[in-house]
Amino acid sequence: MSLPAAAMNVERQLLLSEIAEFNAAYAHCIDDDQLEQWPEFFAEDCEYQIIPRENVDLGLPAAIVFCDNRGMLIDRVVALRKANIYPAHYSRHVLGAPVLLDADGRGLHSQTSYVLMLTRMDGETRLFSAGKYVDVMVRENGVLRLKNRSVVFDTHRIDTLLVTPI
Amino acid sequence: MNAPIQWPKAVNEIPKAIFTDAALYEREIETIFHGAQWHALAHRAEIANPGDFKTMLLGRMPVIVANGEDGKIRVFFNSCTHRGNQVEMASCGNRKAFECPYHRWMFRTNGELAICPGSEEFSPGFDKKDYGLRELRTAEFCGLIFATASADTPALESWLGAVAGTLAGALGGDGRLKLLGYQKVRYASNWKAYSDNDGYHAPLLHVGFRLLGWQGGQGSQKPTPNGHLAFESQLKPVVNRDFLKDPSLIDLKATDPESGSLIAQLFPHTVITKHMDVINVRFATPISVDCTEVHYAYFSHADDSEELVRHRIRQSSNLLGPCGMVSMEDASIFNRIHIGSFTPGNAKFQKGVKRTDEVWFDVKQNDESGNLPKWNYYCQLMGFQRSEVA
Repeated sequence: MSLPAAAMNVERQLLLSEIAEFNAAYAHCIDDDQLEQWPEFFAEDCEYQIIPRENVDLGLPAAIVFCDNRGMLIDRVVALRKANIYPAHYSRHVLGAPVLLDADGRGLHSQTSYVLMLTRMDGETRLFSAGKYVDVMVRENGVLRLKNRSVVFDTHRIDTLLVTPI
Repeated sequence: MNAPIQWPKAVNEIPKAIFTDAALYEREIETIFHGAQWHALAHRAEIANPGDFKTMLLGRMPVIVANGEDGKIRVFFNSCTHRGNQVEMASCGNRKAFECPYHRWMFRTNGELAICPGSEEFSPGFDKKDYGLRELRTAEFCGLIFATASADTPALESWLGAVAGTLAGALGGDGRLKLLGYQKVRYASNWKAYSDNDGYHAPLLHVGFRLLGWQGGQGSQKPTPNGHLAFESQLKPVVNRDFLKDPSLIDLKATDPESGSLIAQLFPHTVITKHMDVINVRFATPISVDCTEVHYAYFSHADDSEELVRHRIRQSSNLLGPCGMVSMEDASIFNRIHIGSFTPGNAKFQKGVKRTDEVWFDVKQNDESGNLPKWNYYCQLMGFQRSEVA
């Protein structure tokens, strides 16, 4: 028996607000430089990639970051902290409202636009990347986690380098 | 008005001003990029099918690299032969024909002018045959497509010279590649600072290699008199694999560790590398005196298993290039060399410099002096006179 339309709507609104809250916490984790906590937003068995929209449109799989388990996310953070040399910067994510595309046995399918501003140490804030998250979220012990986050970025000509996750 | 640039007497020194001088940059575009050099513009794998095309800049000149209906790859100026309008705007795609929207002139994929509406009112003697897209001299090596705007450029094989073997190896041996995708980046750096520091450099910069206990192995460096460099090096096993949660990322699945790293650096600034299981061509374009755009194109080999392709995708997406965990430091260095070059004086090469009165070609793997034959060639090409006094 299906739910009445009003109940469906309430359930949907609750899911959307839960996803929006999750995304906001995710963005603040990065922007506040709490990167050691960042992998915890993901399920153990997960995929995360940052891929140019141009490659997606051409059906090409190469990305600029591609992790297919949570360990690789941790490796990225360790490399950033201990190995990589890059201009110090602040990140600032501005997120749009999530769109809930589907909810099935595999999880919650949603999309969210983002704008990422970068402030390097000259003090100027530049638009570094615009794009969207294409997500599948699952519930582990009641808590939402990312099963799959594909960051598809429009700004496919990168300014110098990317080290901090989006 | 700046003082004229004085080229130093010692061959291991270069004036920092050459990285920042806007008038010199204009001369370089004419002399080098529009001049008698080959420029790698595409790999056949990027435009594998008839009708596939890719647009690029050759120096400042827009060009179309097109795979014709006849399966032949040609390079055309991306400019309508009527009034000069840019014909194609997409960075790549597939077309039955190239149409200029201004007066609807339509060109076949082999460059021939097929349609030009209203030609009965054109100038006396107008003949469509004379108005095909203007084609550049083109040559191919292991699928890598080169073009030159000059009639004086020597044949490609002799231009490549001693770097050809390494180049073939870096392109998978036979050049039968498949495109995996692009990483595109702009560096706030003069093209020479990019080309002088991409390719190979002492591994001191990359802390990642040290943390992994992965300092490479024996190898060789071969400069050519016309500014190319070839590197071939062993890759030793990683000592501290446990440093990574997922060390499978740095496995070698299709690469002999004895020749694990191959780098062909072509004058003026194209780098082709096969490092670990990554097959990568870096198509660079000078944008201005202080900006260089580089398109990192990644490939698999036509004979790869599905599992190997996935491994190459993982390595291509995580290790090298402007977002690669073990090498993004390069990007920082390009920009910092450029900023530092606004100070007076010369940059001085030291490691492996045995003499300062002339260049030599017998260099060791990690010698900075491998860059000196290129600088000597550049100095001559641009018509600089070396100072008489030290």
